[in-house]
Amino acid sequence: MARGKKKEEEKIHAPGTLVIVFIFLAWFIALYVLQWALLAVNWPIR
Amino acid sequence: MTTQASQANFRTCPTTGLQVHRPAELLITVNAVAAVVFLTVGGILALLLALTRWELVHLLPADLFYRFLTAHGITMLIFWIVFFEVAGLYFGATVLLNARLVTPRLGWAAFALMMIGALLTEVMVFTGQADVMFTAYIPLKAHPLFYLGYILFAVGALVAVYLFFASVVVAKQERRHTGSLPLVTYGLVVAGIIATFTLICGAITFIPAFFWSLGILETYDPAAYRLLFWGFGHAAQQINLAAMVAIWYALATLTVGAKPINEKLSRLAFLLYILFINLGAIHHLMVDPGLSVGYKIVNTSYLMYLAVLGSMIHAYSIPAAVEVAQRAKGYTQGLFGWLRRAPWGDPGFAALVVSMVMFGFLGGVTGVIQGMMQLNMMIHNTLRVVGHFHATVVAGTTVAFMGLTYYLIPLIMRRGLISRRLASWQPYVYGSGLLLLIAGMMLSGDIGIPRRSWSIAGGGFSSLSDITLGMVGIGAIVAVVGGGMFVYIAVFSLLFGKDLRKQS
Repeated sequence: MARGKKKEEEKIHAPGTLVIVFIFLAWFIALYVLQWALLAVNWPIR
Repeated sequence: MTTQASQANFRTCPTTGLQVHRPAELLITVNAVAAVVFLTVGGILALLLALTRWELVHLLPADLFYRFLTAHGITMLIFWIVFFEVAGLYFGATVLLNARLVTPRLGWAAFALMMIGALLTEVMVFTGQADVMFTAYIPLKAHPLFYLGYILFAVGALVAVYLFFASVVVAKQERRHTGSLPLVTYGLVVAGIIATFTLICGAITFIPAFFWSLGILETYDPAAYRLLFWGFGHAAQQINLAAMVAIWYALATLTVGAKPINEKLSRLAFLLYILFINLGAIHHLMVDPGLSVGYKIVNTSYLMYLAVLGSMIHAYSIPAAVEVAQRAKGYTQGLFGWLRRAPWGDPGFAALVVSMVMFGFLGGVTGVIQGMMQLNMMIHNTLRVVGHFHATVVAGTTVAFMGLTYYLIPLIMRRGLISRRLASWQPYVYGSGLLLLIAGMMLSGDIGIPRRSWSIAGGGFSSLSDITLGMVGIGAIVAVVGGGMFVYIAVFSLLFGKDLRKQS
């Protein structure tokens, strides 16, 4: 029973979703860096 | 005899085969209708406000701007959302469990309390006796009936939440369902737990404010009020989050037959919301002097990220479940063949995608970034914050609720959609308007334009503001057209849609 369930879980195949997840992460990183850059411009350390 | 009598209160849904408790069905309908009425009022106010912030149009005078801003915030963030959530809770406790709503009379009492409270608050705001904004920060003082309205609404909603919990428990006792709760109902239980905390916080916040406005209480510490208020104000949006994610799972199942790829993990992700999401509400108090820097950072960063982890799990598992379901149907071509062949013309699926993409890419990401101490200093009290919560509450929660409504109308209200074609376009029209509106708000915030400001003339802002505030105005017009399409479909389907009762 447990083995059958495990086999079923192994069948999960969602490569398209994985690509979407990486696009999302890239967007997150880009926005995050941009915000820190904007902060550095607005509040410069002199 | 009793069992026979109570069984007569059920009908069988011809589409799903589920048992629908008639008294619950009626309560779901009235709460959903009340929600749509408040959505309509809030939407009209939204247009007037956006056309005032667009400096070229600058529609309203200053006093009406602040009055309508107060009304818009309360109507949309509290009344539209909570009435619909109560409808959703009753749906999750009865229809999804094949069960009855215990003591429907209490449901009507809750509805009456919520409606009286909402109307009291609205009347006080519209008659100019509560120009205090959504937050009603002390020492701004409103008419006592404004606070009383809030308290009555909170008590009514609390009764509705406990009716939901009682119905879930009784469904188990009466063996109306076996095994674990369905994932959607589980998500709604999480929303109910967060709602309990939220509504109690609301009562603790507004009861002293009520006595203070009556003059019985001489002072009310503004810092204490702010801390308590955000236990209510932001936590209310976390109810939305849990309810919205539960509805995403429901829409994925209803539209493409998706099943959660790892149900235990999805349940764990919901659990993370209960434990950590409300702690992030401290981000509203980033500049408050009464709290230590360490307290602020621990709550808004480390602890909040555990709730974000929950959202990340849902953000992967729902699209993956859709992909697995689509591939099982034979749509296996390439990486995105499953997505190309998805039912884009189904209003429920369109709403699911618009809601998930805009919530994740705009609302969630910006929320995590600007909830952080250092970055918060840059955008604090600018339109950027407003852009963030329009991406979460409007583009995320409201669109998801609209998507569910397209299923509630035929399944619960038993009316055919008045125009399926219009319904299939509605999420895209609404979503594109919101995209422009939100982008305009966020860019405005990034160049420093303040929120809650009738005019920025003479503020020395970049000339880019003409473009970014123009985006806000045009985006609002398109979004209101999309919102109007939804209200038209919902109301006209209910009144003139094909009667499906004969089928059952």
